[in-house]
Amino acid sequence: MTKTSTSSPRPRRLFRFNVTYPVMYLILFIGGVASLLPFLWMFSLSFMSVGEMMLRHVLPSHIDFSNYIEAWTNANFSLYFRNSIIMSLVTVAGQLVFSTLAAYAFARMKFFGKSVFFTLVLSTLMIPESVTLIPNFLTVRALGWIDKLPALTVPFMASAFNIFLLRQFFAQIPDELYDAALIDGAGHFLFLRTIVLPLSKAALLTVTIFTFLGSWNALQWPLIVTYKNTWRPIAVGLYSFISEAGPELQLMMAGAAIALVPVLIIYFFVQKQFTEGIATSGLKG
Amino acid sequence: MPSTPKRLHQRLQRVTVEESVPLWQGLTVILLSFLVGIILAVLAWNGVIGGAHGFLGGEHGPLRKMSGLGAALFFWIVGFIIVMPLASYLFATFSKGQRRKHWTETFQAYLFLTPAFFILLTFGILPVIYAFYISLHRWRVIPGPYVKFTNYVKILGHPTSLLIFVGGAILLIATWLLWDSYVVPAPGGSTKTKSVSGLGWRIGYWSLILAGLWIAVYGLLGMIHTGDDQVFNSFLHTIYYSIGTIPLQLAVSLILAYILFQGLKGQELFRMLFFMPYIAPSVATAAVFTTLFTPRPEGLVNRMITFFGIPAQKWLFEATPINVIIAKLLGFHLPVWLGGPSMAMVSIILYNTWVFFGYYTVIFLAGLGNIPEVLYEVAKLDGANQWVLFRRITVPLLSPTTFFLSMIGVIGTFKAFTHIYVMRVPSALGTVDTVSIVIFDQFFNATRYGYASAIAFVLFAVILFLTVLQNRVFGRKVFYG
Repeated sequence: MTKTSTSSPRPRRLFRFNVTYPVMYLILFIGGVASLLPFLWMFSLSFMSVGEMMLRHVLPSHIDFSNYIEAWTNANFSLYFRNSIIMSLVTVAGQLVFSTLAAYAFARMKFFGKSVFFTLVLSTLMIPESVTLIPNFLTVRALGWIDKLPALTVPFMASAFNIFLLRQFFAQIPDELYDAALIDGAGHFLFLRTIVLPLSKAALLTVTIFTFLGSWNALQWPLIVTYKNTWRPIAVGLYSFISEAGPELQLMMAGAAIALVPVLIIYFFVQKQFTEGIATSGLKG
Repeated sequence: MPSTPKRLHQRLQRVTVEESVPLWQGLTVILLSFLVGIILAVLAWNGVIGGAHGFLGGEHGPLRKMSGLGAALFFWIVGFIIVMPLASYLFATFSKGQRRKHWTETFQAYLFLTPAFFILLTFGILPVIYAFYISLHRWRVIPGPYVKFTNYVKILGHPTSLLIFVGGAILLIATWLLWDSYVVPAPGGSTKTKSVSGLGWRIGYWSLILAGLWIAVYGLLGMIHTGDDQVFNSFLHTIYYSIGTIPLQLAVSLILAYILFQGLKGQELFRMLFFMPYIAPSVATAAVFTTLFTPRPEGLVNRMITFFGIPAQKWLFEATPINVIIAKLLGFHLPVWLGGPSMAMVSIILYNTWVFFGYYTVIFLAGLGNIPEVLYEVAKLDGANQWVLFRRITVPLLSPTTFFLSMIGVIGTFKAFTHIYVMRVPSALGTVDTVSIVIFDQFFNATRYGYASAIAFVLFAVILFLTVLQNRVFGRKVFYG
């Protein structure tokens, strides 16, 4: 009997614990370093002086914000930054209003042609951007929106993806709530405003973040509808800076950091909801 | 109080009765809005609205630049979207009782939909028609003459080759469908033929498949020979990009997700770190990667690989295929057609993996969470080890997630633009130019709008085909619980 008790599985488990855990942590650690390293490299370069850059230092000798100041003032990054903020906020506002209204109609209202219209909306998800790019540019040019804010915001104020996401969320709200509101004399709009919206904060936050990031990071469309600096967003500003300022890497990195910092700040505040929103709603390539 | 229960009853009835507006009235509204839209479109097409001479047009009018098909489509949308709620409002006022309530709700719904529909129709759906119209013209900044399918012929080569290729592809698909309808998987997992397992049948199938393949390849070679080299090369680069990126991303993130799922301490911190590249602006991160992957020996990546004894590489600036470089390092010679993607493309594939592995990990993590714990426990009781658990439970039950991610990956790599546009340098000799890049180049730099639209349609067709193929071929292997 004593023989069987000594050969219990416990020691083996301990042994496996010892081997696999450090290996797993090592893999995770490599992944973490790999995702962090380019950011550290960027910040490191952005604090360097021209001399340190030329001598190929890996780290700056001291933290020096002069590159940031130069990018912000001389390279117009203050203007680009302002443009991007306004553009993203206007797009988010439009998206929240228009997509919510449409999603509510699809989720909770009965109307003629509902399934056909919904299919029509979802079909826009299949169409690649390359196809719509040229006609949309011609439309925007014909409307006289080149170098103006509407060109950057209006086309993105409603999206099939967000309508679909919100619709799924709104449809989960129990019918009893609507019946109760109806008996109290509320219509659809009042119900939407007072009951549906407060219950859907998580979904609305997901939509807000996705739209903001999409707007902030967009390059292709803003590149073709802005000729002048007036409404150029930061992605385009950074791109033109990259293609012009060849050797001034430290300035380029400072500009990249300026474009990155707001996104990082938002991410650190909402990162839990954000990753959960992605995990549950899937999608968004 | 007799009235209250009655009104309550009426209201509740409205909720429970599933009836909607009568079909003929609904169709009337839709057709009416359609017609008004068409009338406005015709007016715009003929220059009565907008344009150089029409209403609100002229020298200083706000719609002076609206002309041609673009204006017609735009005014069609405007007419459609204004008339739809208007007409339903009229029906609501002139109907009675239950029907009136339905019409009121329909009217409200149309109002709710109007802004989103305006945007989605104007910038999402009708541009497809407009783009096709553009692709049939020689169109350089301003509309040129109608040239039929010249642009497509220039891209895809001689029509006969295209027909041969399509014929071969149809033969292949038909053979596959035939095979599919006769050979069904038995419940045990092994394939078991229904009635046609004989050698003759097998020889028949295989000869049909070989014939289809041969015809398709013959047609494709003809197309490549007579078509636009730049476009075909860009498709090849895109395929390299897809094949290089997706398996790598799937493997890396499956491993990381599996580790994170063990519930180690600090897993949330790692998840947060992994996700950072995905949310960062791709112009900024691509700019950082151009400094990481420089040809200079002092670049960070070059310092790393020289530390491991590998000679410094030119990375983003290198047009030589990767397999040729590896072969040279190992000391033998490889013909160029076996070369694979260029070194520059490999750098971009590495960048892409860096950006997306966190996203893939998070989705895999959610998929792992959906696998019932009981299955593992039962398998453990049966004496399964860690590898068997992973291979026989995790991988098959994760297949919906894997399928979804590879689908996203294919579409994403075919649409990828920003980072490639930032990271491409002249010395890569165009070996990183994917289809989206070529379309944008033709449109933005060469100002050949018609030609660019035609390439975009070819891309659209390819993406549609790949999506359907993926759904049909791999979709059925997916295990949905």
